[in-house]
Amino acid sequence: MNGGTKPRTVPVVAAIVAIAATYGYFLLFAEFAFLQLATRELGAGLALCLLLGVLGAGGITGSLLAAGASGLNPRRALAAGFGGCAMAAALATAGGMWLWWAAAGVGVGLGWTTVLLSMRLRASLGTRWLGRGCGLGTGLAYALSNLPPVFEARPGVQAVIALMLAGAGLAAAGFLAADTVERADGPDFSGRGCVGWIAIFLMLVWLDSAGFYVLQHTPGLRDVTWQGPWRLYGNALTHLVGAVLAGWALDARRWGGTILVALLLLGLADILLAGGVGGYAGVPYTLGVSAYSVALVYYPAWGARPWLAGILFAVAGWVGSALGIGMVQDLHALPLWFVALAGTVIAGLLLVRRGELRGTGVLLLVGGFFLAPPARADEPSIARGREVYIAEGCINCHSQYVRRGVTEDVVRWGPARPLAETLAESPPLIGIRRQGPDLTNVGNRRSAEWQRLHFVAPRTLSPGSRMPGYGRLFKDSDSRGADLVAYLDSLGETTLEVRRAQIEAWQPDAAALSHPDSAAEAQRQFGRLCASCHGPSARGDGPLATRLAVRPPDFQHEPWRHLRAGEAAPEVALARLIKFGVPGTAMAGHEYLDDATVVALARYVTLLHR
Amino acid sequence: MSEPTTARAAPTAAGIAARHALGWLVAANAVGVGLAVLLLWPDLNDVLGPLTYGRWVPLHLDWQLYGGCALPLVAVLLQWCLGERPPSGVAQARVAVGLWSLALLLGGVAWLGGGSSGKMFLEWHGWTRPLLPLAMVVLWAVLASHAWRRRGEPDRSGHAGRAAVLLVLLAVPGVLYWSAGRGVYPSVNPDSGGATGTRLLLSTLGIVVIFGLLAEILGLARRRSGPWFWGYAGFSALVGAAIEHGNASHHEAAEILGLATLLGWIPLAWFHFTGGQGVAAARRWWAAAYAWWVLLVVLGLLNFLPGFSERLKFTNAMVGHAHLAMAGLVTSANLAVLQELGAGRRFRRFWLWQIACAVQIAALAFLGWGELGHGAELFYSAPWTQAIYGLRLVAGLGMLGASVAWWCDARGATNEGVAT
Repeated sequence: MNGGTKPRTVPVVAAIVAIAATYGYFLLFAEFAFLQLATRELGAGLALCLLLGVLGAGGITGSLLAAGASGLNPRRALAAGFGGCAMAAALATAGGMWLWWAAAGVGVGLGWTTVLLSMRLRASLGTRWLGRGCGLGTGLAYALSNLPPVFEARPGVQAVIALMLAGAGLAAAGFLAADTVERADGPDFSGRGCVGWIAIFLMLVWLDSAGFYVLQHTPGLRDVTWQGPWRLYGNALTHLVGAVLAGWALDARRWGGTILVALLLLGLADILLAGGVGGYAGVPYTLGVSAYSVALVYYPAWGARPWLAGILFAVAGWVGSALGIGMVQDLHALPLWFVALAGTVIAGLLLVRRGELRGTGVLLLVGGFFLAPPARADEPSIARGREVYIAEGCINCHSQYVRRGVTEDVVRWGPARPLAETLAESPPLIGIRRQGPDLTNVGNRRSAEWQRLHFVAPRTLSPGSRMPGYGRLFKDSDSRGADLVAYLDSLGETTLEVRRAQIEAWQPDAAALSHPDSAAEAQRQFGRLCASCHGPSARGDGPLATRLAVRPPDFQHEPWRHLRAGEAAPEVALARLIKFGVPGTAMAGHEYLDDATVVALARYVTLLHR
Repeated sequence: MSEPTTARAAPTAAGIAARHALGWLVAANAVGVGLAVLLLWPDLNDVLGPLTYGRWVPLHLDWQLYGGCALPLVAVLLQWCLGERPPSGVAQARVAVGLWSLALLLGGVAWLGGGSSGKMFLEWHGWTRPLLPLAMVVLWAVLASHAWRRRGEPDRSGHAGRAAVLLVLLAVPGVLYWSAGRGVYPSVNPDSGGATGTRLLLSTLGIVVIFGLLAEILGLARRRSGPWFWGYAGFSALVGAAIEHGNASHHEAAEILGLATLLGWIPLAWFHFTGGQGVAAARRWWAAAYAWWVLLVVLGLLNFLPGFSERLKFTNAMVGHAHLAMAGLVTSANLAVLQELGAGRRFRRFWLWQIACAVQIAALAFLGWGELGHGAELFYSAPWTQAIYGLRLVAGLGMLGASVAWWCDARGATNEGVAT
């Protein structure tokens, strides 16, 4: 990197004014007043989302157009950009359909101006003073936007201030140095280096916009961080000091250090916000934002590579802002796991920059594995259990959809649910194949006790089952197993009565009743399917019997528990119990057995009963 | 005296994407084989700790879709937009495709860690949700910058085509991000719980359009067939739009008739793809892709018909149908595409792949056909179901072997050079 010569005063002042004007326009108008004007006009629905989409698409387009606009007079092109920004601000105050044109104009104008300005900065500020110039310009923009008369002004007034800022930028553009500077080389500007820096800034902008959205949209938080003249003056001063210090650090070639400090400050602010103590987040947030914002101006300015600047501002600036705001709107919170993820990615990329590739790979992979969105402790157990169901991929073997027109489905898996009810879930868990039973009504087909035993040792209860064991979910400190059982237990709770009526009405096929039995085959089936609880001789002494809350009956010495006295057709009633189980007990049904097998088992059990 | 050395041929941008594509195909097939093993011997899940069967499935599905199936198309786009010897193009392609692969790798790690959306083929959730869209944005920027750089070249129709395709592709990252959201779910056939006829028609039409564009870009399309091909595509889209009314049943005549319009693509695809002078090595792959295409359309329609749908939905037959689409049709077509691009030597193991794929599909279809009446036997691992799963494992091993051979072929094409 060059030492650089002392720059001339006029281009330096012009560059600082132009940076302050561009950043100020963005902070005060694009990110704030325009949003308020649009919300007032369109409400907070889909139209507003579309308008913001137009703004973002305009920003990306403007950035990329500026990157490809070689051959234009740089100062005139920049002045045109400021002019476009001014016109867009004026259009926005007109409201109505003009708002849409204004959104496109603000986006394209800002995207265009930002990229072209960054190409003029190294020539104007020189390499020795580039950081401090960027820092002062950025800090002034933040300070101005936070001054109480500006911050608390009505959106229309803020639009006029933005228009004046664009005018100041337009005037300053004519005094920027027109010299051509060489494109910077070195690892930070190789293909890999560029991608790394774009990713770093993307994560920082993402963290920033998510944090800012929470600060500004959480009742109470805004009052303690961004309200009142003294707090606003304090924020303005903190921004200015933070930005100038960051510029100084960048001039001292502390690129990685500046980013790391910004990350720590922003991360701390976001952790405080996510942890519910956001009142303390103001100072670290303002310092962190100032630091990385200066670096975001400095890096492309140092590189003097139009495509790098274009892609950086398109991806990190526009996409990053959209992702941050979208994420918080989507999740209604700033998740801690995301802060950890962003920290991991940025730290990893800074390690890559230092050449520590292997460590970064391990960091990313290990971090990725443990960064599954954690279950929220404040959610009900059933909701947490649903997340466990999704995380373990149960959907890959189990459906949750009973086809009302398919007799086998309804008999085996219970009543169908209304489609609207299924589709209202987020997401619907219909599934595509049944490697195991359908679970739509599993709560009224299997008791929680049975589920627990089955999860721990599936093949003990269901011989030959292809299901993995999930005993690990039931370890002492792990609530996932209990949550999963609670979720499954809740499935079908609204259809229990219909299911009972279905069971009562069920009759085995006439052919099955008249089918000659093979006692040996029935005995084999009993040994395979029933003996684990009932014991090989139906004495209630199977290996699982002691683990059940209610010990299975000793068929040889006890009366039937679930057959009514004087049952007209005990064989059919027993077959019904074998096929559908006894809801609310550990006695599970064998719904997928054919009628002949069920009847044969019923006859065999009758033989065993004394 | 020194031994002759082999100079490494410089890789092309398309070649880089091809190697990544085949690498992901191998990875996805390896996971598939692992899944087949776990179905046969479920006790092995205990050895894997938390990484049980259900956590591996998204890796098999998504690596296949976004890696093995999508990256060959990326290779075509890179070749088409970057042109011959693009300045910095290879390095940029390496970065863009590398980011794509990084997204798939991190996605896989997250799914193994339990971070899934619960939507098949769209498992991107939480921090992984923007990864692939971001990689797509970077790829798009590379494609667009080179398309812009070449604006002065004397090929007006090419510029217009690239601009139009890039404009459409600009929407893809956003659509992928949006559609992975848990709150987004397509219309459902209320009588089957599966896709509606309209959805099947329009998604198949999407594949047809992609293949149609491929034919144009690779110069394989018959000039006279263009109006017929694109006209019928427009007609099919209109049919789809006309019959679209949300959650419609497969018992509705409009749904069946709408889906039946896909039969028209059987002759049209043949007519459209047999016009150009393709690479000789690609021809058998195109022929295989066409054979799978005919089967896919006919069986897809049959599976949708009342009676068949009731019998086959939620069974292994549908898994077989998915293999028919992805392993049969798309993989064969992608291998043809990679041959056309010169991304590998003559890919070997043609018959191994085709036969193994056919065995896999037939085994799953046979099992699926019997499931409704013999559910207990599948759930309790009756010997005949184990035998079919065993056959499927053998077929899977054959497919894995073939894909490893292709990956070596693609590497070999890069490593081959001039003896000096």
